[in-house]
Amino acid sequence: MEDAPRWMKQTERVLDGLSFLCMLIASIALVVLIVTFGWLVFGRYVLNSTPTWVEQLALLLICYITYLGAAVGIHDNTHLGVTIFRDMMPAKINSFLRLLIDIILAAFGLIMMIASIDLVVFGWSTLLPMLSIPEGVRSLSAALCGGLVFIFAGTRVAFRIACHVHGKTYVERGLI
Amino acid sequence: MGLAILLGIFAVGVVLGIPVAFAMGIAALTAFWYEGFPLLLTFQRSVSGISVFSLLAIPFFIFAGELMLHGGIAMRLVRFAQTLVGHVRGGLATVNIFSSMLFGGISGSAIADISALGSIQIPMMKERGYHPDYAVNVTVTSSIAGIVIPPSHNMIIFAVAAGGGISISKLFLAGVVPGILMCVCLAVAAYIIAIKREYPAEAFPGWKAVWVSSLHAVPGLITAIIIVGGVLSGVFTVTESGAFGAIYALLLTFFVYRSLDWEGFKTSVVSSVRTTAMVMVLIGFASSFAYLLALYQVPDKLSSFMLGISSEKIFVLLMINVMLLVLGMIMDMAALILICTPIFLPIVKDLGMDPTQFGIMLLVNLGLGLCTPPVGTCLFVGCAVGRVKIEETLKTIWPFYLAILAALILITYVPAVSLYLPSLLID
Amino acid sequence: KDWRGWNIHVEDYPVSHGMEAFMAEVEEKTGGEIKGKVFHAGVLGSQPDAIEQLRLGALDFAVFSLGPMGQAVPATNVVSLPFIFKSIPQMYELMDGAGGAALGEALEEKGIVALGYYDAGARSFYNSIQPINTPADVEGMKIRVMNNDLFVDMVNNLGGNGTPMAFAEVYQSIKNNTVDGAENNPPSYESTSHFEVAQFYSLTQHLIIPECLCMSKKAFDALTPEQQEIVKTAGKNSTDLQRKLWGEREAASMEIIKAGGVQVNEIADKSAFQAAMGPVYDGYLAANSDMTDLVNLFRNAD
Ligand code: NA
Ligand code: NA
Repeated sequence: MEDAPRWMKQTERVLDGLSFLCMLIASIALVVLIVTFGWLVFGRYVLNSTPTWVEQLALLLICYITYLGAAVGIHDNTHLGVTIFRDMMPAKINSFLRLLIDIILAAFGLIMMIASIDLVVFGWSTLLPMLSIPEGVRSLSAALCGGLVFIFAGTRVAFRIACHVHGKTYVERGLI
Repeated sequence: MGLAILLGIFAVGVVLGIPVAFAMGIAALTAFWYEGFPLLLTFQRSVSGISVFSLLAIPFFIFAGELMLHGGIAMRLVRFAQTLVGHVRGGLATVNIFSSMLFGGISGSAIADISALGSIQIPMMKERGYHPDYAVNVTVTSSIAGIVIPPSHNMIIFAVAAGGGISISKLFLAGVVPGILMCVCLAVAAYIIAIKREYPAEAFPGWKAVWVSSLHAVPGLITAIIIVGGVLSGVFTVTESGAFGAIYALLLTFFVYRSLDWEGFKTSVVSSVRTTAMVMVLIGFASSFAYLLALYQVPDKLSSFMLGISSEKIFVLLMINVMLLVLGMIMDMAALILICTPIFLPIVKDLGMDPTQFGIMLLVNLGLGLCTPPVGTCLFVGCAVGRVKIEETLKTIWPFYLAILAALILITYVPAVSLYLPSLLID
Repeated sequence: KDWRGWNIHVEDYPVSHGMEAFMAEVEEKTGGEIKGKVFHAGVLGSQPDAIEQLRLGALDFAVFSLGPMGQAVPATNVVSLPFIFKSIPQMYELMDGAGGAALGEALEEKGIVALGYYDAGARSFYNSIQPINTPADVEGMKIRVMNNDLFVDMVNNLGGNGTPMAFAEVYQSIKNNTVDGAENNPPSYESTSHFEVAQFYSLTQHLIIPECLCMSKKAFDALTPEQQEIVKTAGKNSTDLQRKLWGEREAASMEIIKAGGVQVNEIADKSAFQAAMGPVYDGYLAANSDMTDLVNLFRNAD
């Protein structure tokens, strides 16, 4: 998007940074997952004492890997989907469908965030076994994902409309 | 009515092109809303569908697979396969299939297979005068052998979906013969076409070269032995084996092969996060979806409907296979395993089929779906790697479909194909 | 109204029959105004999920084990303390009286109405080495326990090595001597075939963890006073039925394991085991001083 307005380019840069941050956190979580599990195996079979917190921590980490990674997938357009029918449509309908999908995803993200925050609050008094941290911390990952999906898909809605108004074509991020 | 909303919204969402995982989430959310349930139930189901202990093996297997690719293990496997079976007519196709068999024994992920092996082998085949469509067809269809050759994270998803009570060890063993059988069927198909199209054979490099290349490949193959051996011996749980295998692969590529640098490590971690998130988020929203299917008693209803048509085992199994094939065409594997297992498992159990055999049948069937449009991840990735249009490959892929179907029929109707090996080695 | 009931057990199980009987009685006595269906075999999710769903009103009734319920309702952890009940009959008496009432209050604070306490038997040790008669026999044994520090401590204080492990892995692990044994009630010990690989069953009865027939407070409050009475009575009747069926099931399992060559030994005097639990209680009370009265209520009952 060479001739895109400045605010769009700047927003894109902020979104890229956000997505990078998510990826960084998720990657660290994956490395921690692997290292702590190595520690578990070592503890159980060599030291003869099983660190009981590892499994519960792992179940927490996997939620953050999944939901942060999934949000990045929305930003980068890498989720599995059937595009074959959409691609058969004429260009105008196609770009309308893409706008519609982004609107639906943004709405879903918003509901996901709000409902998951409810879940966080509801689960705050329940403790995760072995870790003694609130169960709500787990659902927080879903709330984050919802918020990020809302931001990523929502800005795309704005971009599409802005491009349409200025009579330019919106360039999609690379699909797999 | 609620069920119609659930299925209808999902179908419309998929056709529109909404990512499948989110289409399931949106459909479930709408159905919960229609039923007057708290909306947060959608996300509670999704979060707890992910927080399942056995599923933790998935990121480990995926990470091990990525290390194969970025740490040079895949390359060594291909070289080994090439020295061993490259000299038959159309040899590179046989090499392709054989190396998928070996690689499947490590990663258990068809996508990893295609991106790891396909990116080496498809260009190699094109260079030696094979048509691009043929190269892609062989790569795509052989990749699904990895789904049933142990270890396989899809087997773990199946065991979770079956509600425990299914031994992972038995599943692992049960997959070996069907996996080899599929490869043999594919090799036959590939060989016949190779003769027709007069593809070349490679020169046999001599036993010394076979010996040397096998020495290079063996440390990589030990990853599989660690994972499978750990589970079969009962020393490790499947999750621990996965972690141990991943750590072994990391140490091997970093210290022994010295082919993994910091960049390769970063790439492996990031790709693993992407793939894990893609698979797990599907599993999560499929759990919300499956909860509603259970609530609407779809398993009971479908079962009495099917058994009402016929209670003949041969026919019911045929019906199930056809339904799975159709579903496999439009949906992805992990989600379908979670959704279909509780529906079909009780039916086949009533018919006296061993749940383990059913698991293998299900996986092969859904694996075939990965190679078919419109949702065929393997086909898409294969075509992208080979730079061929999907339509192009579809014109010539049917002999390979037939080969897998032949294997599927044997797996469905001859229990011994899956169950003989476990019966020998367990108890 | 259409009620949804959650149950982790398969259709043919004492708990399941108890729940079906409860629903049938409610349906009959309310003249069909309240109908319902029990979803067996955990098709609606795991227990922690179901507890949340019940509290939210997405489920109307359920039977929960009080063991893992402690995460949501900490007071229920009290029945996970080893030897807190002296025997099954004493558990019945206490749970139908003051103990059950105290737990019921704690549950109600979290939006759960307790209608009755089902019997889930007593858990005892089994292993592949030798009969356990005194704590000295546990010395050095690696025993699988449920994933809870309390149970790890319990085995460690007997001189063994408590090892948390997924339930599905236990059979193979005993067979390979990765662990020497585990602990469970007779029906589970029998139905999982663990008795084939661990042939010594010593009736320590160290854990008696009842299950609770629960209703969502949201659903309960929506009933008329007459309907609430009907539901309470049905809960009590189904509890009686379940306990009777449980006794029969347990006896049948004992027959099967004895026929399978298991050496079963009773432990006449459990005081040595109980005495070894001192540190477990001290540790628990140190971390949960607010539970002191409740623990004493249970521990000091005859
Ligand atoms: Na291949
Ligand atoms: Na497909």
